[in-house]
Amino acid sequence: MTSLHIRCLILACGNTLRSDDGIGPWLADWAKDRFQGDRTIEVIRRHQWTPELAEDIAHAASVLFIDCSAASPPGSVSVIAVEASSSTNALATHHIGAPELLGLARDLYHSLPRAAVLLTVGAGSLELGERFSQPVLDATPLACAKLEEAVSQLIVHRAPRD
Amino acid sequence: MSQTITIDPVTRLEGHGKITIYLDAQGEVENAQFHVTQVRGFERFSQGRPYYEMPSLMARICGICPVSHLIASAKACEAIMSVRIPHTAAQLRRMLNLAQMVQSHALSFFYLSSPDLLLGMESNPVARNIFGVAEARPDLGRAGVGLRRFGQHIIELLGDKRIHPGWVVPGGVTEPLSSAKRDEILAMIPEAYANIALALDWYKKIAENFKAEIDVFANFPSLYLGLINEDESIEFTDGALRLIGEQGQTLEDGITASRFTEVIGEAVEPYSYTKFAYVKSLGYPQGSYRVGPLARLNIVKSMGTPKAEREFTLFKQLAAGPVESSFHYHHARLIEVLYGIEKIEQILTDTLILDKHVRASAGVNRLEGAGQAEAPRGTLNHHYKVDENGLITWANLVIATGQNNNAMNRGVLQVAKKYVKDRKFSEGAMNRVEAVVRTFDPCLSCSTHAYGQMPLVLTLVSPEGEIVDQLVR
Repeated sequence: MTSLHIRCLILACGNTLRSDDGIGPWLADWAKDRFQGDRTIEVIRRHQWTPELAEDIAHAASVLFIDCSAASPPGSVSVIAVEASSSTNALATHHIGAPELLGLARDLYHSLPRAAVLLTVGAGSLELGERFSQPVLDATPLACAKLEEAVSQLIVHRAPRD
Repeated sequence: MSQTITIDPVTRLEGHGKITIYLDAQGEVENAQFHVTQVRGFERFSQGRPYYEMPSLMARICGICPVSHLIASAKACEAIMSVRIPHTAAQLRRMLNLAQMVQSHALSFFYLSSPDLLLGMESNPVARNIFGVAEARPDLGRAGVGLRRFGQHIIELLGDKRIHPGWVVPGGVTEPLSSAKRDEILAMIPEAYANIALALDWYKKIAENFKAEIDVFANFPSLYLGLINEDESIEFTDGALRLIGEQGQTLEDGITASRFTEVIGEAVEPYSYTKFAYVKSLGYPQGSYRVGPLARLNIVKSMGTPKAEREFTLFKQLAAGPVESSFHYHHARLIEVLYGIEKIEQILTDTLILDKHVRASAGVNRLEGAGQAEAPRGTLNHHYKVDENGLITWANLVIATGQNNNAMNRGVLQVAKKYVKDRKFSEGAMNRVEAVVRTFDPCLSCSTHAYGQMPLVLTLVSPEGEIVDQLVR
C-alpha cells in the first residue's frame, strides 16, 4: 500500500499476451529498474485497473498512468494531463480508466494527487502474441525518455506536456 | 401470439450471460431462461497434458476464483498420487481459499449488488454503480475496497500474484510462510474486522426495506449442498459434502470427492453451454439444488468462530428451517466474510504455520482422482483420469453456477411474473431480473480479458421477428 511519502506513483496496465497491450507492463518493469532505490517512487503494474487502486492513488502526491492506446497512430507516444471524473462510461468491475480512478480516489478518500498524467503508446496490434509490433518496438526508446521526463516533472509538481 | 424478451448481456455479473423471458398469448410471463453464452472447453483441451500441470491450467478458468480451481485441481491430482499433504500446507491452502472468498464476496456485495441496495432497485441506472456508492456512502465504498484489498493482498503475499498464483501444486504448496508475511497479514486484521462490521450493521438495517424483493427472489423450498466439517461447522477447503432437503433434513452425508458422481448427475439443456447438476436419486429437474453462501449457512450447525457464530445465530432467526429466499445470499455472504477474517487470524496462530515441510511428492499411483472445494459461489468438483504416464485422458468439472442454474431460472421467472407488466419491461423490472441472478453471484467462466464495453440490450420480439419493444442500457 502506498503512503503520503510517495512522490510519484507509476500505474501501468496491459496484457502481456496481447502484443502491444503489453507495453504498459514493459514500461513499468523499465521504470522499476530505472528508479530502483528511490523509495519515493512506486511502480504498480496490473493486468487491468480496478477500483482498489483508488486508495493507492489517494495516498500519492502524483500519478503517472501508463497504457496503450487503440485510438492513436501505432508507435505514437503521448503524455496528457488527466482530470478526475465520475463518468461511468469506462466503468466496470474489472477495468476502469484513469479519470475514473482519480474520481474514486476523490469520492472515497477525499484526496487527490497534485498532478496526474497519462502516458500512452499507440498500438499497432492487439492480437494474441508476446511481441510488440514494429512501430511500438521502434517507439520504446522515446516512450522511456518520455516516462523519465514525466516523472521528473511530476515530482516537482509540474504537469508534463507533449 | 407468444413473445420473447431478451436481456443480453446481463450486467454486473462475473462473465457474460443472457436472459430470455417468454410471454404467452395473453402477454403474461410464461417461462424464463438464463443462458451462459460462452464456450470454454477446458475439459477437452486439457486432455493429453501431464496431470501435474492441471492446477495452473484450471486456474485460468477464472480471474475471480482461481484459487478454488487451484485447490480442487491439486486435490484431484493428490488423489491420483495417493498422497496426504502436510498439515501446514493444508492450513496455508485453507487461508488462501478464505482470502479469495473474502475478496470475491467483497466484489459481489460492494461493487455489484450494493448499488441496488443503497440506491434502490428503481434508482437511476447511470448512478447505480460503485461511483454512486462512493458518492452516497463513501465509508461503505471504502469498506468494500478495503476488504477486496485485504483478500487480494493475502493472495499476493502467499502466491506472489493476485490472480492465478502458482503457489498451490499437487502435494501441497511451493513455499512455506515467512514470519514477516504472517505478521503483515495479522496487521491487516483489525481494519478488516472494522470494514465487515460496518457492512453487516448497514445491511441488517436496510434489508427490511426489500421485503417485496425477498418475497420473489428465488424464494422457494429447495435442496442445498455444501462442505461441512465433522463437527458440523462450515468448511471451504476440506471436510465432505452434505446434501439437505427442503425441511433441512440430511439426505446424504459424507460425500467425498470420489463419491460425488454417485450422488450428483449433470443434465444438458439446448439453450445454455452450462450443464445442470441434479441429485441422481431424485432425477432431473426434481433433484436440482442450490450451492453457495445461502446453502452453506443452511447446512452447517455452527460457524466455528465466535464473531461469525453470533451473526449466524441472527441469520438462523430468519426462518424456522432453511432460509429460502436467494435475497439472503447477501446476508450469508457478509457472515462468511466475517468468518473468513476470523479463521485466517486463527490459522496464523497455529504453532506449525511457519513449518518448512509443505509439500509431499509422489508419482502416479492411481489412474483416477477427484478433488473438491468451496468456491465463493459454491461447490466445485474436479475429476480426472490419467494413463500410466500421468497424461490426462478425461476431465470433468462441476462448477457452482451449473449447480445453481435451475434455481436462477426459477428466480428469474418469479421476479418476471411479479414485475413484467403490459408486455413492457420497465427499468426497475429489468434491474430486478438481473438482481435476482446477482444474488447467486454466478461466475460465468469469468476471465480477465474483456475488451471494450458491452451494451445491455433488452428486446421484446414477436414470433414473426418484429421488435415491439427495446431498451438499451
